[in-house]
Amino acid sequence: MTKVHPTPTDVAAFPRPRARQSRDLVSRETLLGMSTIVGLLIIWELVYRFELMPPWAFPSPVAVVVALYELALNGVLLENTMASVGRQLSGVILAALFGIPVGLWMGASPTARAAFLPLARMIYPIPGLAWVPLAILWFGVGFTSTVFVIFFTGIWPIIFNTMAGVQTLSGQYTEVARVYLAPRWLYTWRILIPGTLPFTITGLRLTYGVGWRVIVGAEMISSIVGLGFLIDDARWQLRPDIMIAGMVTIALIGWITEVQFFDWLESKTIDRWGMKAGVN
Amino acid sequence: MTVRFEDIDKRYVGREHEVLALTGINLTIEEGEFVSLLGPSGCGKSTLLKILAGLLPASAGRVMINSTEISAPGPDRAVVFQDYALFPWMTVEGNVEFGLEARGIPAAERRQTSTELLALVGLSEFATRYPHHLSGGMKQRVAIARALAVAPEILLMDEPFGALDAQTRSLLQNEVLRIWELYKKTILFVTHAIDEAVFLSDRVVIMTARPGQIKEIITIDAQRPRDLTSPEMSAVLRQVRAVLADEINRAAALEQADLMAAS
Repeated sequence: MTKVHPTPTDVAAFPRPRARQSRDLVSRETLLGMSTIVGLLIIWELVYRFELMPPWAFPSPVAVVVALYELALNGVLLENTMASVGRQLSGVILAALFGIPVGLWMGASPTARAAFLPLARMIYPIPGLAWVPLAILWFGVGFTSTVFVIFFTGIWPIIFNTMAGVQTLSGQYTEVARVYLAPRWLYTWRILIPGTLPFTITGLRLTYGVGWRVIVGAEMISSIVGLGFLIDDARWQLRPDIMIAGMVTIALIGWITEVQFFDWLESKTIDRWGMKAGVN
Repeated sequence: MTVRFEDIDKRYVGREHEVLALTGINLTIEEGEFVSLLGPSGCGKSTLLKILAGLLPASAGRVMINSTEISAPGPDRAVVFQDYALFPWMTVEGNVEFGLEARGIPAAERRQTSTELLALVGLSEFATRYPHHLSGGMKQRVAIARALAVAPEILLMDEPFGALDAQTRSLLQNEVLRIWELYKKTILFVTHAIDEAVFLSDRVVIMTARPGQIKEIITIDAQRPRDLTSPEMSAVLRQVRAVLADEINRAAALEQADLMAAS
């Protein structure tokens, strides 16, 4: 079986709050997290003040905030962000719509696994960016080629994780389904899909992360709009503050999505079912 | 409904060698009878239950219910598993209704049945909770309600109280007897606890260590509720213990031999 559980780096990118033992501990954790960020900002500012880096290549934190503000005011930020988010969502949703059923199928059927797993394992390690030139040849520059690249690199984590979820699902649930003569559709809908959800959500998180990693590179090469384009274009204007403003925007979107969507999704499902700590 | 095991063998075929888990099992269970399968671990008692459930095929012989040979699960049988096997993503009532949902019973009717059964097992106020909020004893009550919901004629209980503490276990034993007397089900009850088997059963089927065979069947006519400390029941307990003692020693020796072979 492929190792598809989140690697430490994948998880560490957006640490989720642990079960809240006490208010005290949470605020202490939050405080620590905030201190590290503030510390980084201070070091950044000091490096700028003492000109440890050439100022034309190394903006101050304030300059980045100003750039963010200006880009927000003149609509450039919104336009590029919407373009990237649109591609990202299209790619990730397509990957989920296709990857979850394929993962369920490959998990449930040894024949499907035998047929497709070797191929999937070969394609999986190809970096997303390697697909960009081919995607441009096939779909031209712009929306379709970017979405294709996100889809094609993002689909593997969700397939592998969903598959692993099916394979680790307790055989006893299947026995219960058999004892009560559950038809195939009911088994899939009421047991297989919710039972594998802890894995599916992990897969979705990874796919979402992969999507952002790929999208910026793809937009740098093959696009005239998007956050990747914004960052790359700032190079020609010698505007490192805009580059970092673009990166900060991506970080904020990632953070908001983690908290507002994935954590919310978990709180409505596997948290509520007591399935988060260990997968039954 | 009468259950008849006829010359049942069960072999597990591994890569290197095969294991004979059960051999020459002949047993008839009458309608409404409470029968326990008692034996050391690894004697195949759970295997025998799963064969009757239709979850495992027998390697030889056949299982008859009345005059029909069975080979798959059916609406006449329901199983209560040792570790409850509740679906964590369904509410308590959702779990109880699962068998009815599988049968295409309309939602309103399902809800009526689950409400009645949850009242029967004393869990009405937990209907909309999720299983992880419940204690082990409560979970097993839900599992019993789920089994009763499909109105089976034969209830198969696979070491249902094995994971519970002594007090909860005794409570649930009384509850099972109450349900059995109320619904007149045929019950096949797998256990490794001598007192449990003696407290509950009309007949205790004592099995040998691997390969599992029926060593002796002890009929207990005593009235219920039974007091295991009475002279009469103490005698039965002693009798069962004597029959089982050799087998438990033999099972331990077999296990040790397996471990030696594996290392």
